[in-house]
Amino acid sequence: MAVALAPSPSIVSNSVRRSALAVILVVGIVLLGRLTGGKARLADVPTWLDAHVKPRTDIIYKWVVLNNQKHWIFTRIFDPIASVLKAVNDAVFWVLKSLRWPGLLALSGLVGSKTGGRRAAIAGVLVLALCGVLGFWDETVVSLSLMTVAVSVSLLIGVPLGIWAGLNDRVNRVLRTILDTAQVMPAYVYLLPIVVLFGIGNAPAIVAAVIFAVAPAVRLTSLGLRSVPIVANEVGTSYGCTRRQLLAKVQLPMARRAMLLGLNQVIMMAFGILVIAALVGAGGLGQAVLAGLQKNDVGRTFVPGLVMVFAAVVLDRITTGQRHAVKADSLASKLASFLPNRGAQIGAAFIGIVLLAIVAKLVGANSFPEALQVNITKPINSMVRWTNGHVRKGVPVIGGTTHVNEVLVKGILTPLRDAFQYTAWWLVVLLVGLIGWLSGGRRLGLLCAACMVGIAALRTWNLAMDTLSQVLLAVLISIVLAVPIGILAGRSDRFERAIRPLLDAAQVMPPFVYLVPVIFLFEVGRVPGVIASVIYALPPGIRLTSLGLREVSASVREAAVSFGATPRQELFKVQLPLALRSVMLGINQTILMVLSMVIVAALIGAGALGLETVYGLTKKEIGRGLSGGMSIVLLAIVLDRLTQAWGSRTAGQSQAAS
Amino acid sequence: MKQSSKKATRLVIATALVAGLAACGSTSGSGSSAKGAPITLAVNPWTGSAVNANVAKVVLESKLGTTVTLTDIDENATWVGMDKGDIDAVLEQWPSGHGPDMKTYIDEKKTVVNLGVLGPQAKIGWYVNDAALAADPKVATWEGFKDAATAGKFATAETGSQGRFLMGDPSYVTFDEQIIANLKLPLKYTVAGSEAALITAIKQAETDKKPILLQFWQPHWLQSKVKLTEVKLPAVTPACLASADAKDGKYACDYAPDPIFKAASVKLEKKNAKALAFLKKFTLTTDQQNAIAAMIDGDGMKADAAAKQWVDANAKIVDGWLAK
Repeated sequence: MAVALAPSPSIVSNSVRRSALAVILVVGIVLLGRLTGGKARLADVPTWLDAHVKPRTDIIYKWVVLNNQKHWIFTRIFDPIASVLKAVNDAVFWVLKSLRWPGLLALSGLVGSKTGGRRAAIAGVLVLALCGVLGFWDETVVSLSLMTVAVSVSLLIGVPLGIWAGLNDRVNRVLRTILDTAQVMPAYVYLLPIVVLFGIGNAPAIVAAVIFAVAPAVRLTSLGLRSVPIVANEVGTSYGCTRRQLLAKVQLPMARRAMLLGLNQVIMMAFGILVIAALVGAGGLGQAVLAGLQKNDVGRTFVPGLVMVFAAVVLDRITTGQRHAVKADSLASKLASFLPNRGAQIGAAFIGIVLLAIVAKLVGANSFPEALQVNITKPINSMVRWTNGHVRKGVPVIGGTTHVNEVLVKGILTPLRDAFQYTAWWLVVLLVGLIGWLSGGRRLGLLCAACMVGIAALRTWNLAMDTLSQVLLAVLISIVLAVPIGILAGRSDRFERAIRPLLDAAQVMPPFVYLVPVIFLFEVGRVPGVIASVIYALPPGIRLTSLGLREVSASVREAAVSFGATPRQELFKVQLPLALRSVMLGINQTILMVLSMVIVAALIGAGALGLETVYGLTKKEIGRGLSGGMSIVLLAIVLDRLTQAWGSRTAGQSQAAS
Repeated sequence: MKQSSKKATRLVIATALVAGLAACGSTSGSGSSAKGAPITLAVNPWTGSAVNANVAKVVLESKLGTTVTLTDIDENATWVGMDKGDIDAVLEQWPSGHGPDMKTYIDEKKTVVNLGVLGPQAKIGWYVNDAALAADPKVATWEGFKDAATAGKFATAETGSQGRFLMGDPSYVTFDEQIIANLKLPLKYTVAGSEAALITAIKQAETDKKPILLQFWQPHWLQSKVKLTEVKLPAVTPACLASADAKDGKYACDYAPDPIFKAASVKLEKKNAKALAFLKKFTLTTDQQNAIAAMIDGDGMKADAAAKQWVDANAKIVDGWLAK
């Protein structure tokens, strides 16, 4: 036991030392920037360092636009895929719509009770009903069908890939880089090309959602397979399992928990694409959000955003619910006991649902009854008005949000950006390479330096430095908030239950819904962008910190207490050091999330790489968009690999020590 | 044996399910006297676009027996949709924003045809609010901004000592950067990033009674809610317009008015020639469009209801569109 307790101080001080190193190097860049560049002009990347991404991409894109109805690549491959996706979606939509609201509610309850027992069934029915109560039933059905197809396709692609990656190390490495890119590369970059390839409407929306949402399915399937204990595999083999049997009967069942978490994340990610889907004509809840935005009406934007969260929660809870034993004395099971077998029970339930739908049709219950609808647009708007009147100025101590905005912009964001931008580009490359080398050895140093040179060759250097300064601030704030909140959640069940819906909402709610009020409180510019990034990046940080604390085994904690550790000592000397790996993974995910918000930040005035990428879509300069998007990905790779290096080192030490 | 009985049960269930659903699915379509193939019109995210599309839908459905689907879609994706024929027509496009699209799809690929002007003239320009005019009346014309002290009144935390010039959605074609540089004005060009952000900035300035200078346009629903005054820029000259075409960076005058035009997929001709002929003749004046837009934005009517009410009350105009 002493062994478990002893190493903790050195681990903590090690990670402190490493963060201190990073801070020192950033300060070093700032100072060197002052010395070498001065205020005179922006640092320039030499003209020969140019990958010509823009002109080359533009030539390819133009060819595609001119040939997308002639060449066999399009008529034989992309068009059929688009037709199949559209047909499947039409079929799913037709079923959901034909069930009408009573039938769909019953179906949601039935699926919920099959996977998660009575609790999931009740949640499925009530939360889905809320979508209708808030007045967006028809839009919910459109979006639910789109999401059902997108999630299914993501699983059909993601789970086999995940199995492959779980069994093969090289595949795993290659896939990881591709998935990083897919998650960070903003949908804005590939949206217009997708429309050119797959047409407008549901097909491109499904493709965009799959690109974005397939990553967690692959990652968590692979993780699940890799975490199957060696002993289990050996037992299986010694009983004469073939490889196929081992996979189907031992490994996959044991990976179920991780795969269910993967399904949850696939759903949350896919819902994040709904607003973008509306841009290409898929309609539904995303369109309702856009309509509210267009009128700058916070209430009208917020309500469909909230419905989106509810719809995501329904799909999540009824598909990922843990199976509970159904109580024998429930009414349903009494009825069921009359029927011979399970298949017939389910069949009877389905026939019941169809009968319900037919009755609903006969009585004319086509859309959700208006008598049950509640309009909460006005109360929300008056709440926002009150906030705007009271928070912007005259708050004690901080002086109001207008003042905070000024301090952040003039005191932190602008000096940091200037420091990065006025430093000679090669010096930044060297310093980033050096940080990499110190954190993870020569290979990492070279990788980091190469990524920075890549950004220079994409001709986006100054924009990237601007983005980097904003991203660093957002990451810092996110970590400072996420780790303590995660610790609280990890130590209190009640607190964790209370914040879980908030975390779901932060992941699914389209950022624009809460951004418009944020812009009003601060100012069009970089600060609202930083705030949006923090809101989006907090959930994974909080979740993984809490998970890490909870995974520290009870016996270790009990031992610490029996040795007389105070609660504070138990937390800082036992739980946190042992949870470090999970916490570092949370910080790593936080960074990726912040980078994936760079585009959204640009839509509210943050400029930089995000704006460059948006230009790509909206002015049809795909090459320009791609340069911006690739630069964001390169920044992500640098920050991701650096934090992973810190994480695996500290975790490695803690494991070696215990 | 047990297996096969299970399968049989499943088959029965599936058949029952589909048959039952089919019974409740078929609600539409019976008994309509459809003469033309159904068509799809694009609705872009602003009220004027919804007005045109809904009025055309009412007329097409009631007078020409053509079922119309309205698709809400981004304006850039609209062109790709017309290219493939997924969208048959769009009734409000601003020439200034779609130069490359017109070149690619109308001139080169010939998959989209221009259906002529809709009627209203759009106009982009520089605008200031009342607080700006109160702070310094000189800002009614561009020369006022030459004075650094005057321009400085538009400064914010993000722009430092320079005045802020705010532009909205990055997709808009603008010459503001060139105008500022060529007229040597001490202003900092800033992109708000979206129309929502731009409008929020205007509302914020109005609440605080702070001066704001921005690129804005007519027609827009906000123009009737917030008083914005257009700043006088140097008059449009042929030389100035030529520099816009040449992309030489020397643009230094006001924006030329934008005659809003209609466009259709080349496939519409074969699909439904009657609908195409109607769409070609379809026009609305600025006043007519504003009147219908006011019913939607001001009175909170649904776009389809407003369009129907207007069509019923203006039979003569509608007959004009349908005359041979």
